[in-house]
Amino acid sequence: MRQRVRIMVPLLAAGMLAVGCTGGGSTPAPQGSGAASAPAADQANPNDLPRNETLYTSGTQWGPPANFNPLREWDSATGTKGLVYETLFHFDPNAGKLTPWLAQSGSWTDDTTYEVKIRPGVKWSDGQPFTAKDVAFTFGLGKMETIPYHQLWEWLKDVQAVDDQTVKFTFSTANYQEWDFNLYNRAIVPEHLWSKLSEEDVLNGVNENPVGTGAYKFSSHDQDRAVLRRRDDWWGKTALNMEPKPKYIVDVATPSNEVSMGLLLQKGLDLSNNFLPGVANLVKGNFGLTTFYKDPPYMLSANTAWLVPNTTKKPMDDVAFRKALATSVDVKKIVEGVYGNLVKAASPSGLLPQWDQFVDQGVVSQSGFSFDKAKAKQMLAAAGYKDTNGDGLVENKDGSKLSLSLIVPSGWTDWMEAARSIAASGKEAGIDITPDFPDYNALVEKRGKGDFDLVINNERQLSNTPFTYYQYLFQLPVQKVQNTVNFGRYENKKAWDLVHDLDKVKTDDIEGMKAAVSKLEKIHLDELPVIPLWYNGLWAQSSTSTWKNWPSSAQGAPKFAPAMWRNWLEMGGFEALTQLQPAAS
Amino acid sequence: MRRYFGRKLLIYGLTFVVAVTINWMIPRFMPGDPVASMLARARVSQPEAVEAMRAYYTSLFGFDQPVWQQYLGFWGALLRGDFGISIWVFPTPVSTVIMGAVPYTLALMIPSVLLSWVVGNRLGAYAARRKLLDNTVLPVGYVLTATPYMWLAVLLAWGFGVILGWFPVAGGYSFSTRPNWSLDFVLDLLHHWALPFASLFLVALGGWAIGMRNMIIYELESDYANYLSALGAPQRLIRRYAFRNAVLPQITGLALQLGVLVAGALVTEIVFSYPGLGSLILKAIQNQDFFLLQGTFLFIVLGVLVANFVIDIVYVVVDPRTRAGMAGATA
Amino acid sequence: MTALQEVQTREVPATPPGAWREALHFAVRNAKLVIGLGIVLALLALGLLGPLLAGAPPNEYVGPPMQSPSGEYWFGTTTFGQDVFVQFVYGLRTTFLVGVLGGGIAAVVGMVVGFVAGYRGGLVDEVLNMLTNVILVLPALAVLLIVNAYLGIRSVGAQAVFIGLTSWPWAARAIRAQTFSLRSRDFVDLARLSGATTRKIIVREIAPNMSSYLFMTFILLFGGSILIASSLDFIGLGPTEGVSLGLMLQNASQWSAMQLGLWWWFVPPGAGITAVVGALYVANVGLDEVFNPKLRET
Repeated sequence: MRQRVRIMVPLLAAGMLAVGCTGGGSTPAPQGSGAASAPAADQANPNDLPRNETLYTSGTQWGPPANFNPLREWDSATGTKGLVYETLFHFDPNAGKLTPWLAQSGSWTDDTTYEVKIRPGVKWSDGQPFTAKDVAFTFGLGKMETIPYHQLWEWLKDVQAVDDQTVKFTFSTANYQEWDFNLYNRAIVPEHLWSKLSEEDVLNGVNENPVGTGAYKFSSHDQDRAVLRRRDDWWGKTALNMEPKPKYIVDVATPSNEVSMGLLLQKGLDLSNNFLPGVANLVKGNFGLTTFYKDPPYMLSANTAWLVPNTTKKPMDDVAFRKALATSVDVKKIVEGVYGNLVKAASPSGLLPQWDQFVDQGVVSQSGFSFDKAKAKQMLAAAGYKDTNGDGLVENKDGSKLSLSLIVPSGWTDWMEAARSIAASGKEAGIDITPDFPDYNALVEKRGKGDFDLVINNERQLSNTPFTYYQYLFQLPVQKVQNTVNFGRYENKKAWDLVHDLDKVKTDDIEGMKAAVSKLEKIHLDELPVIPLWYNGLWAQSSTSTWKNWPSSAQGAPKFAPAMWRNWLEMGGFEALTQLQPAAS
Repeated sequence: MRRYFGRKLLIYGLTFVVAVTINWMIPRFMPGDPVASMLARARVSQPEAVEAMRAYYTSLFGFDQPVWQQYLGFWGALLRGDFGISIWVFPTPVSTVIMGAVPYTLALMIPSVLLSWVVGNRLGAYAARRKLLDNTVLPVGYVLTATPYMWLAVLLAWGFGVILGWFPVAGGYSFSTRPNWSLDFVLDLLHHWALPFASLFLVALGGWAIGMRNMIIYELESDYANYLSALGAPQRLIRRYAFRNAVLPQITGLALQLGVLVAGALVTEIVFSYPGLGSLILKAIQNQDFFLLQGTFLFIVLGVLVANFVIDIVYVVVDPRTRAGMAGATA
Repeated sequence: MTALQEVQTREVPATPPGAWREALHFAVRNAKLVIGLGIVLALLALGLLGPLLAGAPPNEYVGPPMQSPSGEYWFGTTTFGQDVFVQFVYGLRTTFLVGVLGGGIAAVVGMVVGFVAGYRGGLVDEVLNMLTNVILVLPALAVLLIVNAYLGIRSVGAQAVFIGLTSWPWAARAIRAQTFSLRSRDFVDLARLSGATTRKIIVREIAPNMSSYLFMTFILLFGGSILIASSLDFIGLGPTEGVSLGLMLQNASQWSAMQLGLWWWFVPPGAGITAVVGALYVANVGLDEVFNPKLRET
């Protein structure tokens, strides 16, 4: 017995110790210095956020919040731009107009000079006044080659703070469309802090203590979350007569979509900007979940998913083949089978529904395409693709075997299913397509080098102008590695010139824009360098348990896009926060 | 005894060298140019950042140097605690990311391993040669030990999390709270910890119970037990001796099982999105963050080696034969 | 595979060739063996024959989405309308394949290393033993994770090979110990005196005398391979083509089956793995009792 006790006691002690450790050892110290520096009086209980004043969001951040640097627009913590740092304007996709934000007004004083009057009385969160110099400084940063908007300086000649309230931009070429895009996308940073940073820190700096003009401040962050706290002295309260309702925003770093769905159902999340397959069932049921539309497609559209053929390879270099391919894809089956109607089939032009006014229906009806198996077969035959060996699949014009692979990233389950569906419907029309699922980054490498047959892509979001859409389609010159646009390596000088022409149309000249878009649309549909498939949704599922009045298509409800995604807070995401109401009141 | 520990340490040292070498070799055996592929894999589109990373990777791999120098350089960086920069949470050092996750994994593993071992042994010992108990412990034990960790985790999460709503199914602590030293927070941690702990505990429990049961049966059939029995010793005494003898192989078994237990913890964490090393590995794989993956791998190996050594010490303490210099545990 | 393997490191009486007939007599009367083997064989038959009867390939959208089990879809359908039962029978096939291949490779490597180390002794033993111990201490799943992630292993065969190559050490160690005890027996000495080569002695004299033991070792390795493979599949390092029970679990989890209440999607694959592995273990204990008279219940 004595012997056994000797074994058991240390083991049990170790067990107890370890149990104890779960309380102690696993407690990471709060890293956010904001938590410590916040005025004590404001935080009655700094550790427990009152549920009815807190908004829980997810779907933007997929890893620990690693930096709070607003210039890192692609990976800074949720809300760094939009909640903490702000832009000169916001963009309202419904009205198609810029809304003055940090700028009070802005206008072209002549063809190549743009003047911004900034809003008086705005203060940085450290108490310093926000001035025109900060704006000039921020745009001046773009002269560094590593800054995302460096390319702006190819046509921007000079920025000057004329006085404390006025900034003057002088252009060598006035790209009006792109300029508007910059006006609502560039976060303004304080000169008095950022001018001290090295170039390395400007680009790669973590910016642990962000000082912005925005309505929120980061108060703490941990591996799987960032907590934002409302600034009650935010300028917009008086100047815009707006106030975001949640006092705290906790942005949860999504471990995975299904976990988000679980949290949402357990009322631990208020807004999930995740793709939640099957959510249609929950919206219909009694789970207290809402989406923008009560019926399919449930969501607003955020971007277009395209099938991109590599136009430098045979037979994808043949327009007739590309058109037959487009005709063979049964998009309806993807929309219904794979997505359960959470997405919407794209129009042949692929222009998002928010850009409907620019779509030239005449061009669509004349040159558009739609799924038709028989017609696809017929088109293949007419173009000289015949099934010579009788296996039901066509051969190349020269009689060699035609076999294409369609790549989508491994693990992107919805796209993997979509690719299988495309391959199946292609085979029925006689085109031999095999889905292939390389790792995401292997795919990026192949896609960049043009080492693929077919790929699915959607890397262009909604913006203020169809210019960004056609830039994606037609940008020249084709580089050795194509990083973000024109993966199909389609070369059409005329189209690219037309894109430039569109860029130079003033943004209030809707008719001029329509005319330019119509020409591009015609080239797109006649040549089909990319094949629009469906509109990916602006995934947004909200729980009505704590907050109500979520944006929706219902009458009287706000119409803003309920998204925390990067670059969407300026497109209605922030405004949606101001419309929320506590559910229990 | 010195020989015993010397031998053990030699093995652990060698193992660590092997692990580091695997880590060093594999990127070099990858098809294609690892630096180029690393760059394409890093989701960094800024030309400057790409250049910085190219320089970083090139110097890290040191392709301009002779192979032996590359290898030594790799060790050098390692000994300085430099595991590289995570791509997933650029620009955080890998070591920082790992240290943030380690407490959670330890908090899951240590209690579940020790408790399941202790409880499983008791249970198995009671069940041995007790018909009625044996008939329940044995089948349940087999089902448990054959259950894939993630499946039991999914079942528990579904039953107690989704359907009953008693426990949260994700995270290390509530999103509504911040780490602090209050009782509420500790309870919150425990609340999140309970289900992952339970699934690790249960699966491991089955194995230990069966192991102990079988071991005791062997012991009860052994000559000394029969001899004692023939001498008329009370059954309790015989069982006590049997238990004492049977515990020793169970300790060795614990060492043997560490790899499986770690694997179980990793997948369980993934099911519950528990912020430990398992979730980290998943993220590293999904984001092709090879530095993070390598770092985590080395860390796990190191942890297993340390645990092995601790078990060795315990063994020596428990088994007088090893102390006397007789061959006890198989090295 | 847990503590079961530890039992195996203890000395087991040698199985003289004549014992097989006697063993058979006890085998058919051993409930554990009969039940365990019965379950394994039934599932194996389902995995072999099921796919032949299933009309469509496992990933085809055959029915309405998210149907609960019914007469038409025995195990219901997935979010896409795939037939879970069809996936299950195909998955069983893959699972058995991984088990046989992975377990087989591990058994072969373990035997070679164990026999040679145990029989030869001396320096050879030292080196092999060191190698065994080193690989034994390395956590297998962690090694497989890093190897699979880097080399992008995405086929069932390659997966099984790598599992086999990492899970042999405990078997080698156990076999070495057994060989050690057999090598000084009379019949081995006799063979050595008659001038037989090492290989011959191992194959002709030693191996047959511990054949039951080797068989049980294989069974444990078989079960272990299945569990490791399912973990790899679940983490997302499984085969990209086809179905396995682990992949089914991963898919169910990724498509929120748990949150949406589609229990019929994630219960069958896990239950399948548990049934196969559990039945193997039970059968193994049954075998142990059959070959080891001391353990037979009296």
